[in-house]
Amino acid sequence: MRVGIPVLDDVLGSLPKGKTLTYYIDPEVEGDVFAMQTLYTNLEEGYRCAYVTSTMSPSSVRNRFREFGWELNDFPGFSMVDAYSGFVGSVSEERYVVKDPSNPSELDEVIKRAIRENDLVVIGAFSAMIDLCGEDFIRVAENWTREASNAGSRLVLSFVAWPYGDDVLEKVKDMSNAVVTVGGVHHRVVLGYYYGLLKADWADVNGIAVLFRLVRPGGVRAYIPKILVTGPFNAGKSSFVHAVSNKAVSVDRLGTTVALDHGHVEFKGFSIDIFGTPGQERFDPLLKVLGKEALGVILVVDSANPETFPRAKQMLEATTRFGLPYVIAANKQDLPNALSPEEIRKRMALPENIPIVPIVAKDGKGVYDVLEALLRLLIGGKYDKS
Amino acid sequence: MTSLREMLENVLRDLKSAGDIEASAIVSRDGLLIAADISQNVNAEAFAAMTATMLGAAETATSELGKGIPDRVIVEGKSGKIIATGAGSKALLVVMTNPKANLGLVLLELGKASEKVKELLGG
Repeated sequence: MRVGIPVLDDVLGSLPKGKTLTYYIDPEVEGDVFAMQTLYTNLEEGYRCAYVTSTMSPSSVRNRFREFGWELNDFPGFSMVDAYSGFVGSVSEERYVVKDPSNPSELDEVIKRAIRENDLVVIGAFSAMIDLCGEDFIRVAENWTREASNAGSRLVLSFVAWPYGDDVLEKVKDMSNAVVTVGGVHHRVVLGYYYGLLKADWADVNGIAVLFRLVRPGGVRAYIPKILVTGPFNAGKSSFVHAVSNKAVSVDRLGTTVALDHGHVEFKGFSIDIFGTPGQERFDPLLKVLGKEALGVILVVDSANPETFPRAKQMLEATTRFGLPYVIAANKQDLPNALSPEEIRKRMALPENIPIVPIVAKDGKGVYDVLEALLRLLIGGKYDKS
Repeated sequence: MTSLREMLENVLRDLKSAGDIEASAIVSRDGLLIAADISQNVNAEAFAAMTATMLGAAETATSELGKGIPDRVIVEGKSGKIIATGAGSKALLVVMTNPKANLGLVLLELGKASEKVKELLGG
């Protein structure tokens, strides 16, 4: 079983039996999707999964999943634990029903049964249960983690970190085997959302954090707001941006980019925006403005035209002086006089650890290998495991 | 508790209620979308990148001529206008109007909104 969230899947490897994972969510962020995505991913894998609702009617829950293109009714392995209908006095037809959701012992009993009878139980709004039953309710929930551990099931909690007492917040973290924080960032001008792994007792974790965005349909995507594609005139930057993107726009005049290429790509759970720059020196003033805040650089070079390498090196130095990770795309490998990646490394005096990927941008050959090489640098060594 | 994003979105909403404005966005100077009030079928990220390029190119062009920094860029077309203006050193504000928009009024509202954005983003 996996958690079904990009990057976390690579770092955690799996969601082992008997473990409890908590999504610890900043109230500002629409974070309920994480637990939903974990549930849906594993339904698709054929596991028996149950979703506990205490704040929405079962039909609202199904609609919420549908927003992301996830149809729960398609899976016989799905069941709902209805701890909501009892509040509003409506009749429930779900497999598990809590008749009086404000009665902690009944809630406890039904959820324990769900844990024993399923491979995964997701509590859709754990914080709402604490609001309703009081902060002592955490002790009840601690029993669920034990139940999951004994039954070889898994428990996933969606917990919105409202300003409870510090002891409550700490207890929630302590009782979980793994904690994923979901929050907002305001770094200079990037207003975004991130998730990070706070702890996981079955994996070697060293504090990863990933920006994300929600895609409808689709769910949680790791988000990379800017990758810069640069390189000398006529190296094939625009061809690269268009070959790698799901959709792209360019401002081209007389066959060359005068302003900017902009492309968007959905790749391996990542949502990436790509900015391609003009190559001629006369556009350099604009480059300084648009090149800011990039997270990585792809330098496209014309492998058959070594006279352009000094200019390429100069552009690379201009864009990577803040220590940005970069990869080289050795384009036009189909030409008879194209230099090999190793030859290019020698001529440009590039360090051994810089990836140089052979591509033919016009045919789309190798372009995703370039992206993959850059992602590996961005996410760090952990990404290698996949 | 209102987040910065919500406050920025409120500025855009107020701007729209002044009339004539069909879409608006706050974009970082380097072309990343910060906040937008744009219909779903527009590629907002590409729109943001191009707007920043437009204003950036205009500013480079006029300053190369020794004419200082322009107040705004106005693009006029048969089906509407696009107006981009700076909003502090970090961001710019762009709006799309309907073709019959009262330009004077829009510019006035835009000026006020750009001041608010500048304050919110800290200059």
